[in-house]
Amino acid sequence: MYKTLAELEKGEVGEVVGFDSGHMPCRRLESMGVRQGKTVTRVSSQLMGGPITISVDGRQTAMGRGIASKVKVKLLERENSGRMSQN
Amino acid sequence: MRILLMGSPNVGKSAIFSRLTGTHVVASNYSGTTVEFTSGNLRLEKETAEIIDVPGSYTLEPTNAAEAVAVEMLKEGDIIINVLDATNLERNLNLTLQLLQTGKPMVVALNMWDEALEHGIDIDTDELEKQLGVPVVPTCAISGEGVKLLTERLGDAATIKPKTEPEDIWHRVGEIIDKVQHIEHRHPTAGQMLSHATVHPVIGPFIAAVVLFLSFAFVAYIGDWLHEEVMEEIFEFVWEPVTGWISAALGGEGFFHSVLIGELIEGEIDMNESFGLLTTGLFIPIAVILPFIFCFYFILSLLEDIGYLPRLGVLIDTLMHRMGLHGLSIVPMMLGLGCNVPGAMAGRILETRKERFIALTLVSICVPCMAQLAMVAGLLGEAGIIGLAVLFFTLVILWIALGISMKFLLKGETPEILVDIPPYRLPYWKSLLKKVYMRMMGFIREALPYVLLGVFAVQLLYTLGVIDLLDRFFTAPAQMLFGLPGEAVGPLLVGFLRKDVAVGMLAPLGLELRQLIVASVILVIYFPCAATFVVLFKEMGLRDLLKATAVMIVVVLVTGTGLNAILRIAGL
Repeated sequence: MYKTLAELEKGEVGEVVGFDSGHMPCRRLESMGVRQGKTVTRVSSQLMGGPITISVDGRQTAMGRGIASKVKVKLLERENSGRMSQN
Repeated sequence: MRILLMGSPNVGKSAIFSRLTGTHVVASNYSGTTVEFTSGNLRLEKETAEIIDVPGSYTLEPTNAAEAVAVEMLKEGDIIINVLDATNLERNLNLTLQLLQTGKPMVVALNMWDEALEHGIDIDTDELEKQLGVPVVPTCAISGEGVKLLTERLGDAATIKPKTEPEDIWHRVGEIIDKVQHIEHRHPTAGQMLSHATVHPVIGPFIAAVVLFLSFAFVAYIGDWLHEEVMEEIFEFVWEPVTGWISAALGGEGFFHSVLIGELIEGEIDMNESFGLLTTGLFIPIAVILPFIFCFYFILSLLEDIGYLPRLGVLIDTLMHRMGLHGLSIVPMMLGLGCNVPGAMAGRILETRKERFIALTLVSICVPCMAQLAMVAGLLGEAGIIGLAVLFFTLVILWIALGISMKFLLKGETPEILVDIPPYRLPYWKSLLKKVYMRMMGFIREALPYVLLGVFAVQLLYTLGVIDLLDRFFTAPAQMLFGLPGEAVGPLLVGFLRKDVAVGMLAPLGLELRQLIVASVILVIYFPCAATFVVLFKEMGLRDLLKATAVMIVVVLVTGTGLNAILRIAGL
């Protein structure tokens, strides 16, 4: 099942499969570790449409929902920690 | 020889810098910009090299002014020390490979090595050295481990220009990681759990409120203690006798006496009210303001080094978006609380013109600097908490209302927040103190000349009768709009030079509480001090500065009149 990063529920894990547009925020996302093939976990989100926090390689990144909605992910099992450790 | 210390944000670059350099460190602006960098000296075997702490950057494709400077500075360096975060190798290697492409001799410092081991991250440094073709040294800036080896291996710095195409960099990063890194899974540490709690949508704001409250309490109490118990004592027992001799030598009156010593109050020098260069001119900045500045920068730098500020940015992002800004704009606001000058400079971390305009205008109108706060607190605090409460409430309401209005009135985009949240880290005390020291020096450099100039101008304008003239001229409007007496006009005018000096002038006027509150609020929100104005001009350009000035005039007239009316109705 595919979702965008913005749609990922708290605690859900997904694999990044691509970006909606090749624009600047995506380049920046890449340099901050959010890239194709990476496993991301949704950590938390602020209320009222505020930014979401994700974790990649054990490191947290926060981003606005507009940016998050440009990142496509394939849903993996929840809290699959064994898989995370490979990255 | 010039050595560049380069790396992404939050890799401990500044801590390495503190380890490498001695006490002589200077902060300067990169020519033609307001982007600040620090440089110092590193003694090597044969020579002394200049070492520069280049602003942190994720890539060599800049997205803001600070990153653009990093790229520019690259051209002027002889050797690069690329600092990596060993706990985050994969993300950091992108910049490393880009730096290798520049063909400059380079050494890699694999920093936070101890933390990587703790997290179960094992990196084969020999293999990494082979893959990159340049020396790799594991370091731990906090304990100093590996830093000496790093300087020794500067001589081995190698120039490798790999033929990796920009598109293939990530592929190459993946290859290297596969060969050198092995991660063993560990359970989340206490630090990680705390990290989750502080960005939690409900618990997070609660923690933030506690952290901010404690911070302000620290500044208020410790600052006050340093001011009253330490600095005032020093002035009373050491400096006052000296000024007394000078006063006597000058005969107790005359032009030079009023400029240097000021007026004698009941035959005595009064550090607060005499208003001479050597009395009030030194007393206000050094004895009254500096203690608070020190406490404020200490707390701010601590929050910064621990890694709390990005989290605060995330928590406040939703509110800031209502004001046409994003969460990271909290950084210029917080810095502005110390001194508006660095606050306005920090606007460069924002990407668009609209954001910078809103943030800088808000800093200069609604964010009182510590110098002003210390003086206003002294003035209003005498009458209890009510005056300060009204002041802060007015500023917060104004901050939000003005932000929301500017968001709708201005054209342009507000990009979304995108920020790396580093794990919590214990600060390295030496680099923390160095930062506090440099920020205090920055304040002294920015403020002291203007304070002295302000005090001098006050004496001169009084002597020439200019203030009396202006008082008479502005008495009617000041009385009608703000309910202030004519004598308050002089201080308001001086406020343009230095607001702390202006507040000092209000003290002897014997104003009622309502008038004190209105005058303080007006002083805070109308034009920023001269030094800030200069920075605003550099940051915004003339057109936006004129626009911001128009906003300031409207805001001060509306707020001053409104507040006076409201307070009258409330019976103050």
